[in-house]
Amino acid sequence: MSVNPMAYEAQFFGFTPQTCMLRVYIAFQDYLFEMMLVVESVILKKLDGFPGCKISPCQIRKSTEKFLLFMKEHFDKLFSKMEEVLLQLVLNVPENVLLPEDKVHEQYPYTKEQFQALQDEIQQLQQQYRAEASAGQALQAELEEQKAVRAELEKILQWFDGLDNICREHGTSNFKESFAFLTQNSKKLQDVLKDVEKKSKKIKKHDQLL
Amino acid sequence: GNGDGDPSVPATPGRAQVFAAVVDTFLEKLVTAGSYQRFANCYRCFYKLQPEMTRSIYDQFVSQLQTSIKEEIQEVKEEGNLEVLFNSLDKIVEEAKDHKEPAWRPSGIPEEDVRSAMVPYLLKHRSYLQKVLKEKEEENRKVAESVLAGRDRIAELQQLIQARKLAWQ
Repeated sequence: MSVNPMAYEAQFFGFTPQTCMLRVYIAFQDYLFEMMLVVESVILKKLDGFPGCKISPCQIRKSTEKFLLFMKEHFDKLFSKMEEVLLQLVLNVPENVLLPEDKVHEQYPYTKEQFQALQDEIQQLQQQYRAEASAGQALQAELEEQKAVRAELEKILQWFDGLDNICREHGTSNFKESFAFLTQNSKKLQDVLKDVEKKSKKIKKHDQLL
Repeated sequence: GNGDGDPSVPATPGRAQVFAAVVDTFLEKLVTAGSYQRFANCYRCFYKLQPEMTRSIYDQFVSQLQTSIKEEIQEVKEEGNLEVLFNSLDKIVEEAKDHKEPAWRPSGIPEEDVRSAMVPYLLKHRSYLQKVLKEKEEENRKVAESVLAGRDRIAELQQLIQARKLAWQ
């Protein structure tokens, strides 16, 4: 029969039940011996008060040994029974009982493979998250760029609208036409100026000749 | 009996009670074995000389032995905090009474045993990652929509400007 090390009980109690029983056994035994010695010394002392008696210390010692031997036998038997009961009923954790601190082991009985699979899954999720995070950053960056570009384009559009508004306010219905008209007029003016200059030069010549 | 217990259910003695009862029985039987008759018989010569003294010495012997033994038990109980542990264990056993199968026991291999202890943390971590990943994906989906809309708008603006430019030429 193999000796049960009662390791799980030791986990709960903080000591091995067998060790506890041994300590108690030794203590009890010591008390028994001590008491017997006290008894013997008391009897011997009392005998000193009876100088005439024929009882020798040797006889007393024999009596003590006899009684002690008898007591020891019963003591061992009784202690053995007590130990058996205590180890089975009191200082034990029944087989079907799981200590609360070990609950995880019944809740999550993962094998090596299952555990590895869980770790792999977590790693994969972390990678996926990192990818999504950098994709998100790129999107945000473009969004910012778009904001700036849009602002510039809207400014330009506003400027064009501004020109149209000015023309409308100043009554020129079609600035573009007027602009074209002006350009033509200034060309005409330039031609007239040139004519006048020519003519005035001719007149000056005539004056000189006259 | 038990003053505050449920009267309809006979209380099974708890470990503390059994412990006390077993020790008391041990002492009782020991004293019975080491009876006065046996004592007087062993110390017959002295008994013949001083019967009352013999009785008195025996009584003291028994009393002292019982006291010492009880004190030792008390010391063991206090050192080991046994009262509390016994009650706690009784409760744990009671709660496990429907559990018929043998329960888990340490395998003796720390790497194996620590696995199960880590699993709850890993499971929490996994569900956290699943949650934030989902949130991030949703967030990105919304931002992507905005980016596409932004591109359309910019193209639209560019077209409008082009049209204006043409009109002024």
